[in-house]
Amino acid sequence: MKGFTHFISGIAVASFFPQAVHMASQEQSFILCLGGVFGILPDTLDFKFARYFHTSDFEVRPDPNDLDARIIARTVAESMEKAVKDGRSTVQLHTMQLGSNLWRSYTLGFDSKTNEVVVELGPLVDTGQVPFEGTEPKDPEKLSARVKVSAPFFQEFDKKSNIAIMSGPCFEFVRRDDGRLEIVFLPWHRTWSHSVTLGIVISLLVALVSYLVVPEGPNPAMYTVPRWLLYPLIVFLGSLVHIVEDSTGFMGNNLFWPFTKDRTSGLGFMSAAEAIPNFFFVWTSIVCILFNLDRFRWAPDQVAAGIPHPETFFFWFYAVPVAVMAYFFLKGKHEKDARKAERKEVDFDSPTASERETDASIV
Amino acid sequence: MSLLNLLLHPEALDLVYFTIIGVLFSLFVSFLPALHIYNILGIFLMIVLKFEAGMSGMQLVALCTGMVVGYSILNTVPATYFGPGDESLSYYVLPSAHWVAMGRGYESVILTGVGAVGGLALLAISAPVFLWVLPGLKSITSPHMFWIIMAVISYILMSEWPKGVSQSKSTWANFFEGWKFLSVGLLTFFLSGVLGFIVMSKTLVPLEFAFQSITPVFVGLYAIPWLITNIINAGTIPHQHECRSLDLDWDLFSRGIFGGFLGGFFAAFVPIVTAGIGGLMAGHATAQRDSRLFVMSYGTCKTVYYVGSFMLFFIPGLSLTRGGLAWIVTPVVATLTMKEYALFVGMMLVATGASFLLLMPFTRACIRLVEWVDYHLISWVAMFITLPMVYYFTGWGGIAIMTVATGIGLLPVLFQARRMNLMGVLLLPVALNMAGYGNDVLRLLGLL
Repeated sequence: MKGFTHFISGIAVASFFPQAVHMASQEQSFILCLGGVFGILPDTLDFKFARYFHTSDFEVRPDPNDLDARIIARTVAESMEKAVKDGRSTVQLHTMQLGSNLWRSYTLGFDSKTNEVVVELGPLVDTGQVPFEGTEPKDPEKLSARVKVSAPFFQEFDKKSNIAIMSGPCFEFVRRDDGRLEIVFLPWHRTWSHSVTLGIVISLLVALVSYLVVPEGPNPAMYTVPRWLLYPLIVFLGSLVHIVEDSTGFMGNNLFWPFTKDRTSGLGFMSAAEAIPNFFFVWTSIVCILFNLDRFRWAPDQVAAGIPHPETFFFWFYAVPVAVMAYFFLKGKHEKDARKAERKEVDFDSPTASERETDASIV
Repeated sequence: MSLLNLLLHPEALDLVYFTIIGVLFSLFVSFLPALHIYNILGIFLMIVLKFEAGMSGMQLVALCTGMVVGYSILNTVPATYFGPGDESLSYYVLPSAHWVAMGRGYESVILTGVGAVGGLALLAISAPVFLWVLPGLKSITSPHMFWIIMAVISYILMSEWPKGVSQSKSTWANFFEGWKFLSVGLLTFFLSGVLGFIVMSKTLVPLEFAFQSITPVFVGLYAIPWLITNIINAGTIPHQHECRSLDLDWDLFSRGIFGGFLGGFFAAFVPIVTAGIGGLMAGHATAQRDSRLFVMSYGTCKTVYYVGSFMLFFIPGLSLTRGGLAWIVTPVVATLTMKEYALFVGMMLVATGASFLLLMPFTRACIRLVEWVDYHLISWVAMFITLPMVYYFTGWGGIAIMTVATGIGLLPVLFQARRMNLMGVLLLPVALNMAGYGNDVLRLLGLL
C-alpha cells in the first residue's frame, strides 16, 4: 500500500480513542499524529535503514563499456545454484549511471516454464525512465541471454524487473521442501520491520516511558484507558494497521519475526500499487476520522454536531462511494483476468506497475 | 438557466466585463516569470486600491474572480517554459520539464488546461453540495486544524524516500549517500521554518509595504534559485511540437480530475497547505502513476486550490476566509447571500471559458518567444526585473531576506531534494503558533 494510505489509517485508528480526540481539541496535543507516524514507520525503517545494511552473496555490477547480458544472467543463475546447494542465497543487481540524467537500462526475468534466467539489455533512459530510441546495444550475441538453472523455481510476481535508475533490486533464492526455489523479491522488505513482534516491543518501550512521564490528565473518570496507556496503544495499533493493510496484497509480511523466518504470503486481494484499493483505505480512514472527531467533540451538549444524522452521512459518504469503487474495481479485475487468459504466457514485455512506481513504499 | 438569467441580467452584465478585465490582467501578470501568487496579489492589490473608489463591491469581486481563474489557468505557460514562481508550480514543473525536453511542452500545457477546466466545472457542479456539506466539515475540523497541519508536515518529511545511488561495498557508505538527500530535505524544511518565524515576528520590510513582507521570502526560495538554474543550464529547448489532439481517454480524464480535485480542495480548505502539497497527498491517495494523469491532475489541483479557496468565502453562513483574495474583498462585500454565491459561480465559469480560449494562443506566443530568444537571456531579463521589484517594494531589508531565502532555496536544487520542503517557511510557524507553541520557539530563537 502507499505510504499515505498507511499514514492516514494510523491517524484513523488513533481517532477511535475519545481521550486522544479531547487531548487534541482541548490541550493542543499532537497525539493523533502519532498514529500516522507509526502507521508509516515500518516502510520508513525498511527504505531508509534496512536496505542499506542488507548484504548479498552475489552482486551484479554491469560494465557499461563492456555490456554483456550473458554475464548478468550467469551471475544470477550462479546465485540460484548456490541456493540449490546451501538452501539460501541472495543477489543484488546494480544500475548503470552514465551521466547526471542518463542511465543504461536492462531487464531481468525468471521464466519458470523453461527454468531459465532471462536478461535483456535495454536502451539508455533518463531519470524519468524515458527511453532514448535506438540506443540499445548492437551486438545480438550480448544483447540478451538465457541461462538454465538446475532446479525448478517459482515466485509471487511472475514479471520481469526493469533495472534502470537509482538503486537496483535484490533477490533472495530459498530452497523449499519440495526442492523448488522460491524467488523472494526485496528480501529486506516487510520482514522484522513489518512484524507484530516489533510493534509490541516498541509499544512496551513507549509504555515504560509514558508511565513514568505522562501525568494523569483532567477528568480521568471519563475514560476507560488511562492517559499513559494511550500512547503505547496508538503506537501499536498504528503499526498493526500497516501490517494488516499490507497483508491484503501479495507480498505479505514476516508477522512474528524472529520466531518465523520468512514472509507469510499475503491474501492476494489486491495489488499494493492499485489505485482503487489504496483509495478505499484512504476514504474509509477519512470517514472514520471525521465521524470520530464529531462524536467525541468536547461538550457535545453545547456544541452542535457536524454530522447530525450519522445514517445519512454513512449512506452518502461511505456506502455510495464504496459501491462505486467496488464496481470499478471488479470491472477492472474482470478485464485484467480476461487479458491474462488471452495472453496465457508470462509477460516479458512490459515493466510492472510497481517497477514504475515513484513511492518506494508500495512495493 | 436561472444562473444564466442572473448573470445576463442588465444589472449584472457589467460583472461580465469586469471578469474579462480580470482575465486580461491575469494574462499580463502570468507573463511575468517566476512570481509567486502572493507577489501577484500584492501587485494586484496596489493597482486595485487606486481604482477601488470607482468600483462597486461586486465589480471588485468580478475583477478578482477573473484574475484568479485566469491566473490559475494561464500561469502554467510561463512556468513550463521559464520557471516556476511558487511551490504549487514547482511541483508540476519537474515532470513538465520532461515533456518540454521531448518537444511536448505545448501538449503538457493544454493537458493542464483541460485539467483546470475540468476542475472548475466540478467546482461549479459541487457548489450546491458545498452548501450542505461544508458547514458541518468546518465545525468538525476547526478545533483540529493545528494537528492536521502537523500531520501534513509529518507526512511530507516521512514520505521522501532516499535517492542515493552509491554502489559501494561498504554499507555505511551507501547509507550516508542515501541519507545525504534526506538530510538536505530535513535541513531545508527546518531552515525554512526558522526563516518563517523570523520573518513573521520581526520583518525587515518597511511598514508601508507590510502586506508584501512575504514577497522577498518567496522570490528567494523559489524564483531566484530557478532562474539561477536556468542561467547555468547548458541545455537548449528543442523545437516544440504543437499537437492537434491529446492522448487522453475518459478514464484518464475522470481519474485526473478526481484526484486533482481532492488535492485542490484539501489545499483550499486547510490553511497554509498549497496545491503542491495537496497534489502530492491526493496523488499518493489515489495511486497516480501515468505522467499524463499527473500533468492533468496538477492543472485541476492548482486551479481548485486558487479558485476554491476564494469560493469558500462566498458560501453563505460559512465565514471561511482563505487566501489573499478573500481578504481583499472582505471590506467591500457587506453581506453574502445565495445571490452573491450564484453570481460568483457564474463569473467563475465565464472566466474559465475566456481563459481557456486564451490558453492556446498564449502558449504559442511563449513557444515563439523561447524559440526566438535564448531562454538564458529570458532568465537574465526576469532576474533584472525581479530584483529591482523586490527592492522597490521591500527595500534593502527585503533584499537581505531574499538573499538568505535564496541560499535556502538553492539547497534542494543542488541536492535534488524535494522543493516542497521549502514550504516549512509557512507550515512550521503556523502549525506551532496555532498549537500555542509559537512564543516558546520565538523565545528559543531569541526573538522575543
